[in-house]
Amino acid sequence: MSWADFSTASPLVAAILVACAILLGDLVRPGSRPVALVASLAGLAVVAAVTLWAGQTTADAFGGTYRQDALTTFLDLLFVAIVALTILFAPDYLESRDLPLAEFAAVLVFAMAGAMLIAAASDLLVLFLGLELMVLPGYMLAGFAKRDALSTEGAIKYFLLGSFSSAILLFGLVLTWGLSGSTRVDDIARHLADIASGGAPLSAGLAMGLAFMTTGVAFKIAAVPFHYWTPDAYQGSPTPVTGYLSVLPKVGAFALIIRLFIGALDPLKADWLPVIEILAVLTMTLGNLVALTQSNVKRMLAYSSIAHTGYILMGLAAYAAGRIEGLEGILFYSVAYTFMNLGAFAVIAALQRRPGVTSHLDTFAGLGRREPLLGALMTLFLLSLTGIPPFAGLFAKAYVILGAVQAGGTMTIIAVIAVINAAMAAFYYLRVVVYMYMREPATEGPAPRHGSLVWVGLWTASVLTILIGLFPGPLLDAVNHAARALP
Amino acid sequence: MDITSLPILSLITFVPLAGAILIAFIPRSNPGLVRATALGASLLSFGLSLLLLVGFLPSHPNFQFVERIDWIPVFGIQYKLGVDGLSLVLVVLTTTLTWISILASFGPIKERVKEYMIAFLILEVGMIGVFVALDLFLFYIFFEVVLVPMYLIIGIWGGANRIYATIKFVLYTLVGSLLMLVGILATAFAFQAAHGGSWAGAFDYEMLRQFSFDGTLQVFAFLAFFLAFAIKIPMFPFHTWLPDAHVEAPTAGSVILAGVLLKLGGYGFIRFAVPLFPDAAHTFAPAIILLSLIAIIYGAIVALVQPDLKKLVAYSSVSHMGFVTLGIFVFQEQGLQGAILQMVNHGLITGALFLLVGVIYERTHDRTIAKMGGLSSQTPVYAAAFGFFLFASAGLPGLSGFAGEFLVFTGSFAYSPAVAAVATFVMIFAAGYLLWMFQRMFFGEMSEFFKGHLSHLVDLRPVEALTLVPLGVLVVVFGLFPGLILTLIQGTVTDVLHGAAQASAINLAFWQ
Repeated sequence: MSWADFSTASPLVAAILVACAILLGDLVRPGSRPVALVASLAGLAVVAAVTLWAGQTTADAFGGTYRQDALTTFLDLLFVAIVALTILFAPDYLESRDLPLAEFAAVLVFAMAGAMLIAAASDLLVLFLGLELMVLPGYMLAGFAKRDALSTEGAIKYFLLGSFSSAILLFGLVLTWGLSGSTRVDDIARHLADIASGGAPLSAGLAMGLAFMTTGVAFKIAAVPFHYWTPDAYQGSPTPVTGYLSVLPKVGAFALIIRLFIGALDPLKADWLPVIEILAVLTMTLGNLVALTQSNVKRMLAYSSIAHTGYILMGLAAYAAGRIEGLEGILFYSVAYTFMNLGAFAVIAALQRRPGVTSHLDTFAGLGRREPLLGALMTLFLLSLTGIPPFAGLFAKAYVILGAVQAGGTMTIIAVIAVINAAMAAFYYLRVVVYMYMREPATEGPAPRHGSLVWVGLWTASVLTILIGLFPGPLLDAVNHAARALP
Repeated sequence: MDITSLPILSLITFVPLAGAILIAFIPRSNPGLVRATALGASLLSFGLSLLLLVGFLPSHPNFQFVERIDWIPVFGIQYKLGVDGLSLVLVVLTTTLTWISILASFGPIKERVKEYMIAFLILEVGMIGVFVALDLFLFYIFFEVVLVPMYLIIGIWGGANRIYATIKFVLYTLVGSLLMLVGILATAFAFQAAHGGSWAGAFDYEMLRQFSFDGTLQVFAFLAFFLAFAIKIPMFPFHTWLPDAHVEAPTAGSVILAGVLLKLGGYGFIRFAVPLFPDAAHTFAPAIILLSLIAIIYGAIVALVQPDLKKLVAYSSVSHMGFVTLGIFVFQEQGLQGAILQMVNHGLITGALFLLVGVIYERTHDRTIAKMGGLSSQTPVYAAAFGFFLFASAGLPGLSGFAGEFLVFTGSFAYSPAVAAVATFVMIFAAGYLLWMFQRMFFGEMSEFFKGHLSHLVDLRPVEALTLVPLGVLVVVFGLFPGLILTLIQGTVTDVLHGAAQASAINLAFWQ
């Protein structure tokens, strides 16, 4: 271990220091919201700057267990953006419910550090460490409103199934380690390549390892049929947390998939391709079908996020079928999904400014008239989620579909299934628009005032959703660059 | 001034958007200014589109007024606009009908005027964009942009059952267009793969036209494009969204729906589906001709028994659009000329008919034909105007509806006399349902229902007349001189048929 190691891992170090700084700030000025906000937002800006600085080089650190490359930088910046937006959206909601902000922000930044560790891991143990560091704060956040029974129930479900799936994943990692003799991602890849090129059949132990790992990550990304924890955890959590849960742990888990499946298990992709194909189809179709029947918008978005996982899995399958565009699609989709999904949840959170307001469809009745700007922004996010131009969601879908079409064969059929799903999804996304613009408000009351931070967050998310849709060029270049960082 | 030095197509397309943004800043309390701005923006776009007519050279074989900027270079996607005769005619049709529709909305739309006008102007952006885009991805974007404002126009300002109708409209259209997106991407990829992995030109219409795709891709891509356009135009059996959408839409929405949105389908067939995949088009032509004939007959018969005035006109559209697809897929010069004429004329005539239906609906809030009767004595000018457009719709020689249908008959006769005979036979139905409707509305004793609304039954107001007169003039002019349009579109017709003539049907047993 040397100074250079820490310099390579400086984004991660910075993230952890920021989390500690937020906690220290709260010690000095207990319960002070401005201090917590300044500490966390300024801290995140520093982390972003450090990430960009560290991103100028590609390097291995800590004896090859930590890898800093273009992909790491890309994902790290996305994680910082997710956490920053979540912190912008949260204060209004937390304040009206007497929930502490400093703890919230610190826990988020710790989770972000976990995700960043995943993005840089090139060793199975480090991967697992990052994963746990990412999801453990998530359990706390889900139960953040500790006096709310639904929140506690969701948190417990999330915790139990989360631990369960971590154990399954760990079991798979151990089998792989035992049978390949190394925990290093590149060693494993080399070992598996020997097996693949030798034409020897997959040994039973390795096959089991593969199956456990697939199941484990399927739980983490909430792919059907391993998605049962999601709706309860999402609906029960405080709304800003739900927005966060639907994005960061998911993107983080896809980072894990990229490092593990594309990094280490790449030689065996012919074996896991069919499984991913089936998972993709099941996930997008079932997620959409169940979302159709929901009358609670938060729960509906929970199921729709399952459907989006299905589309991203299609990108993974396209990669496994030999198209680098599939991997680029995963990265592009993650970015687009981040901004449009966080934005949609932020609107719900803003509507729930007053405690006791539910996220039922009725809450949205007449929103277009009561709060025209909020209604317009929600419409924008929903249209983007549907995949209607000129917003980010369309290009994201087009990208993964392109990968699938290029892969050809079965993948073309999956692409067709995906677009039929997208059309089906229009029904439930647009139903919210129907409520906002085509129904009269249930109760006429003065619209709640929203803090300026919420507006900053909403404008950022919406402007990025539009810009990525209209001018995807710079993001395409970044995605291209990041995807080619993998060996 | 030399108009070719201006980005005139971008101006025509985005002037309405500028109007919409301007309106967003006008206070809600001033609907008069909102209306004036909307009309102003649409008239400006209309005026600019007339400049195109002046500067267009019909003898010039290529696309004109071309603008090209690299948009997403990684995938070779460009912002590329251009017009040939076909696009030009449809752009002018769009700009004409838009300002007329906006003017016609002044009276009926009293709630949320601001949102309405913004939606209408964005709708215009999408419609014009579809007709001028020469990049497949750009085309797709404009094609989808049309969807949202129309969804809102039907859903917010529509009739009692508007939410059902508008969601049905969106879902039908979206299924088709998303499958087309897969088709577009597959086509672009096939082009890229054949050019050594370079994306340059992979979405460029002119580049793609020069490339001949292999049979499998043609079949599947054609089917994807076909479905999108068949739903839009709409062809039997994909038409069921249309009557619902028309009945629930506000008057101006119906005018645009019938006048322009249905033409997106016809335009798509002529511009993309046939030229890009000529072999597949030949393969499926017999089936499409059969569906067209069914649509022509079915639309007419169902129109005959409709109790609702608007539904009757809506079903007559299904029948009229059947002539368009028939004309396209017989691959004869007259057939294609007729199809394009029919698109323009149907836009003018059916647009006017919906305006006229709107007039009576605004006065009585009812469209049930059975409640009507004896209106001619009370509102003679209205009756005369209705009669005029009705005869035009029935295909009376001398009015514009005749020329298109006649050319389609001629073209289909060359293809197969039996097909032509069936199509001609339907003309009798068309005359039947239209004249019967006219008789029930205007002749005989005044109905009890109308007697109850006597005080509201005033004749055409000046603004209403102002919306109808331009359409009436065009119907007469194009009826007497269809050559005006035919000259403009000749280049497109020759070009499309030249490509189609070299095509041969694909053996569909290729996967066995």
